[in-house]
Amino acid sequence: MTTKLKEVDVVIVGLGWTGGILAKELTEAGLKVVALERGSPRSSESDYSLPNIRDELRYVVRHDLMQNTARDTITVRNNPQQEALPMRRLGSFLPGEVVGGSGVHWSGHTWRWTDMEFKVRSNYEERYGKKFLPDDMTIQDWGISYAELEPYYDKFEYTAAVSGKAGNIGGQIMAGGNPFEAPRKRDYPLPPLTPILASEMFTDAARNAGYHPFPRPSANASQPYTNPDGAKFGGCQYCGYCQRFGCEANAKGSPHMTVIPIAMRNPNFELRTHSWVTRVLKDSDGKRVTGVTYTNINNGEEFEQPATIVLLCAYAINNVHLMLLSGIGTPYDPVAQKGVIGKNYCYQTGAAATLFFEGKYFNPFMNAGGSNATIDDFNTNWAFDRAPHNFVGGYNVSGGFNTPLPIGYRPVPSGTPQWGSEWKRATAKWYQTAMVINASGSVMANRYNCYDLDPTYRNAFGQPLMRMTFDYKENEHRMGVHAANLINDIAKTMNPTKLNPASARTDPWTVVPYQSTHNTGGTIMGTNPRDSALNKYLQSWDCHNLFVVGANVFPHNSSYNPTGPVGALAYWTADAIKNRYVKNPGPLVPA
Amino acid sequence: MIDAMRVTLASIVTLLLAWPAFADGDAARGEAKFQDCAACHRLEAGANNVGPSLHGIFARKAGEIADFRYSPAMKRSGIVWSPETLETFITDPQSVVPANRMPYAGMASAGDRADLIAYLRNATK
Repeated sequence: MTTKLKEVDVVIVGLGWTGGILAKELTEAGLKVVALERGSPRSSESDYSLPNIRDELRYVVRHDLMQNTARDTITVRNNPQQEALPMRRLGSFLPGEVVGGSGVHWSGHTWRWTDMEFKVRSNYEERYGKKFLPDDMTIQDWGISYAELEPYYDKFEYTAAVSGKAGNIGGQIMAGGNPFEAPRKRDYPLPPLTPILASEMFTDAARNAGYHPFPRPSANASQPYTNPDGAKFGGCQYCGYCQRFGCEANAKGSPHMTVIPIAMRNPNFELRTHSWVTRVLKDSDGKRVTGVTYTNINNGEEFEQPATIVLLCAYAINNVHLMLLSGIGTPYDPVAQKGVIGKNYCYQTGAAATLFFEGKYFNPFMNAGGSNATIDDFNTNWAFDRAPHNFVGGYNVSGGFNTPLPIGYRPVPSGTPQWGSEWKRATAKWYQTAMVINASGSVMANRYNCYDLDPTYRNAFGQPLMRMTFDYKENEHRMGVHAANLINDIAKTMNPTKLNPASARTDPWTVVPYQSTHNTGGTIMGTNPRDSALNKYLQSWDCHNLFVVGANVFPHNSSYNPTGPVGALAYWTADAIKNRYVKNPGPLVPA
Repeated sequence: MIDAMRVTLASIVTLLLAWPAFADGDAARGEAKFQDCAACHRLEAGANNVGPSLHGIFARKAGEIADFRYSPAMKRSGIVWSPETLETFITDPQSVVPANRMPYAGMASAGDRADLIAYLRNATK
């Protein structure tokens, strides 16, 4: 028995960064908005304050802020020849499931992706020729430009209190910033975070090697800050509990303390938590959507929420799942290479070395989410010639820490037993003396890396789980070799007492251990409905009153963290809806 | 015992050092310094946030607002808030009240503290 509710202007599925931004912007534009969030309401004052927030068991081991895999998960396989099995426990990535979504437990790393990504196919074909790109590499241009997105990056950085140092203001290279970044109109809202010993040592070593280190831009407020909407941030206390935790000092830019409370104060807005959307409903002609059905997971009651506009703002994986479950757009078929929903799933790759310095004290328990120095010489630096190394994409390299937890982070030199008294002696001896140099690498789209609905396994609502087919390809392996060599070269110049060297990963991808919550693609944006699910305004080519927002719109994955363009695109879409769509509903780009 | 002595000594030393600047704080500058506190503390009565409302603080004992969850350390501290005790506390909160819940490392400059207190004297009324 489904209760049909009164129609509203907009229904938002999922209330994290993208849902929060759109809720704030569209309620302010006078639209009546309902947000449906499957997780529970959480707030800084009642949930993320001291001392309870510093609980590794609750937040790291038991995943208190993350998706509950007993209700819904994905099935996983490396290639179409395998049988996919359900991921019964989160590991490699951690989708958030509370008000604020993954924007509560992220680290804050905020990058501006550039035309190097948005025009990826054109760029490589122009410089290296069409033959440079393997036949099965299904990268494509995004249909948007950096220039179009620049004001929205700016808006997101000022909303989220990003601390950093500009490297290029209006074409002028700024000392100390990232010289390879695309030109920005103005600097970050806040100066960089205080460096830590590890980031200082990496900075010196990278500079001596001729590279261009800079402090990683991160939404960890380096000092108290009031954002343009009036949301107040405390200064980061370098408490060490960033990634996987809510911020105890209100210093990490998060939707639950910025855009969401502003929407909540607006009488046009209503939030319903514990509301699990099972389907987007299509009109009889299939050209429009009419709303969504959802279940109150506290009591099992089912509702239909009709809406003039539907916005899918759930975690990237779950947005794609809802599209497939709702039969919107043509599912992607990797054999025929037809259809679009599920296409171009991408992830990230990497390599890391641990350096041990007897006599140094890194205090790894004290740092911010963004306490890193980074080099982009092998990433957004287009002058870096990929031809001799034969890979597409790039990687950034950082030195420092990101939430090395007091209990969970136990660096020991390789060869140390993994348990027992010898391990205990080693972990006591080396804990303070270790630092990490880490590379995060892009993953280019491949025709066989994709999503579809699993033929066997179902979730708590009786719906098919989503199936992920993913593995790294030769391109990523070649890049991994380059990255590992580079890291080891830098590490050796630092003369560590002991070195656990970086090595390129060649094993198939697995769901453990944690790697990154940077899953992209599945409902990609693009220039035409044959190759993409959405137009440049993230509007469905099939149903013009449906917008799908999040990293699921990225046609491939770069080496950068995704939240910068995710936030910018949410503001961009909000403007397109407010200023154009509402006045003249219909396709914003002719098909 | 040693801890208690250290706390008392630290309090006395900081009080002595701070007093002259503190007496003639600039309330307008103090309003800007209040940015350090504003992410967690409001000035309106009853507006508890991550930290308790500061309304009427200079007429209260520490840990006194009924519907705010204080640390046991703060409740036990026996502090009666005055411009002087608050100034001492924000200099180094963890050494004055060890194990209190406030995630704030302290305001290092005596001039800044004097300005902030000058602002709070009126703003918390």
